[in-house]
Amino acid sequence: MNIDEIFDYTSFTIDREPHIILDPLICAGCEQRGCVNSCPARCYSYNEAEKSVTFVYDGCLECGTCYIVCDRNAFTRWRYPRGGFGVAFRMT
Amino acid sequence: MKRTFQAIVVGAGPAGASAALGMARAGLDVALVERGNFPGEKSMFGGLLHRMTSLEELFPDFWNRAPLERHIAKKGTTFMTAESSFHVQNETTNFSRTPYNGYTCFRPRFDRWLADEARKAGATLITRALVEDVIIRGGKVCGVKILREGGILEAPVVVAADGVLSFTALKAGLRRPKFNVGQMAVGVKALIDLPKEIMDDRFGLSGDQGFANEYVGCTSGVRGGGFLYTNYDTVSVGLVVHLGSLRESGKSPYDLMNSFLEQPQLAKLLKGGRLLEYSAHVIPEGGYDMIPELVGDGILVAGDAAAFCNATGVNLEGINLATHSGSLAARAVIEAHEQKDFSRKGLTRYKALLNDSYVMKDLKAFRHAPHMLHIDRIYQEYPELVCSMMEHIYRIDGTPKSSISKLLLRELKAKVGLKNALSDVFTAWRAL
Repeated sequence: MNIDEIFDYTSFTIDREPHIILDPLICAGCEQRGCVNSCPARCYSYNEAEKSVTFVYDGCLECGTCYIVCDRNAFTRWRYPRGGFGVAFRMT
Repeated sequence: MKRTFQAIVVGAGPAGASAALGMARAGLDVALVERGNFPGEKSMFGGLLHRMTSLEELFPDFWNRAPLERHIAKKGTTFMTAESSFHVQNETTNFSRTPYNGYTCFRPRFDRWLADEARKAGATLITRALVEDVIIRGGKVCGVKILREGGILEAPVVVAADGVLSFTALKAGLRRPKFNVGQMAVGVKALIDLPKEIMDDRFGLSGDQGFANEYVGCTSGVRGGGFLYTNYDTVSVGLVVHLGSLRESGKSPYDLMNSFLEQPQLAKLLKGGRLLEYSAHVIPEGGYDMIPELVGDGILVAGDAAAFCNATGVNLEGINLATHSGSLAARAVIEAHEQKDFSRKGLTRYKALLNDSYVMKDLKAFRHAPHMLHIDRIYQEYPELVCSMMEHIYRIDGTPKSSISKLLLRELKAKVGLKNALSDVFTAWRAL
């Protein structure tokens, strides 16, 4: 299983705006970055040079992991996608 | 848009749909609010549905009506290392007789069916509706705000069945704003297709018989375990890992998953299968100690939102507790309507009903199980011990054999340490 091919396996209806927004100042001061390794869909990445964490919402499974593992409440927004958007499981 | 109902249920999963179904059957005008395009679109689980007596009360021939895959005839546990495995299994024809003990199913189909039953009974199903806030007046919850159409739904009572993160319970002040990472796990799952005939041969099944297997030792030392459940012509396989331990390990769920899928004994079982879908979700594993406030003025909490999940290490129960709590919430709401009292006091009946049911009794009885599951040695050293013991016992290599007790002592000393072993036995004894 290659997580980078998630769009081949799982369906998404992508909204125009993200449902999760990070506060870059809080993330810049975080040494732990549990979101980066714990996210099952690899939506979070860390840029060593810029000392910044990026969240890409397109392939978010809406599982809740980042909401739990972030100790700093670095979210200026954390909600589920608007009705009708986001991940759409067919079977699972 | 503003609409008024006699009750609002947030979330059309097993807890919410059960609650709405119970209320609709009693003639209440109830709204069942769901953020997905259809109920079940956002739902995932490992794949094993335990027997649900509360649904059998509503549907005496539940197994003929619900969209189920297979009934569970066989249950097993495998202790696993990167190279070896030791497997124990229970099979009985008793589990192939109705009422079945458990089933495999797909949540997008099952949740949709149950919510549709609620709709047929008279509930108003509102989909594509994300609840963004609860409306509180005079300290009492009296409705919800929908994000998309800016719609407002009002009712004297709201049931929060919006899943583990329950923002409805949060906004009503019933759950703490911060979860304890030590009480949470994440489940990741791959759905793999395999032709029915191949699956029946590989797993020793016939007809609608299904197999449910749990794995220990397959998580590279991270607290957690694996599962494999047979659907009709697909296999659900995945891991449940403790979030505190995962975060600390620096490992990723999909890497752990790949190591699991590549373990030689598991890889053989899945050979030729193709990945159809990948999904993940957080699980409230803290048990009794993490249950939020269940009742407030004008609000009740049910299912995962109430952390009704029993992870004892043997069975992982959730949906059965969800449907049961949903049905009890319906009863409490029906009685509150009879008494015209939707205050915290008027709805407290819900707690009494829960306390009298297996939901609270089991959660209380296994209150210490999460402590046992925090013995990290369970996830690596003990499976290694079991596999290496068995290998020694079965191996014939021309050297004199040690007695099994000597062998156990030697392996225990080498892999775990005697002091640790004694302390683990004590913890496990207390927990179970």
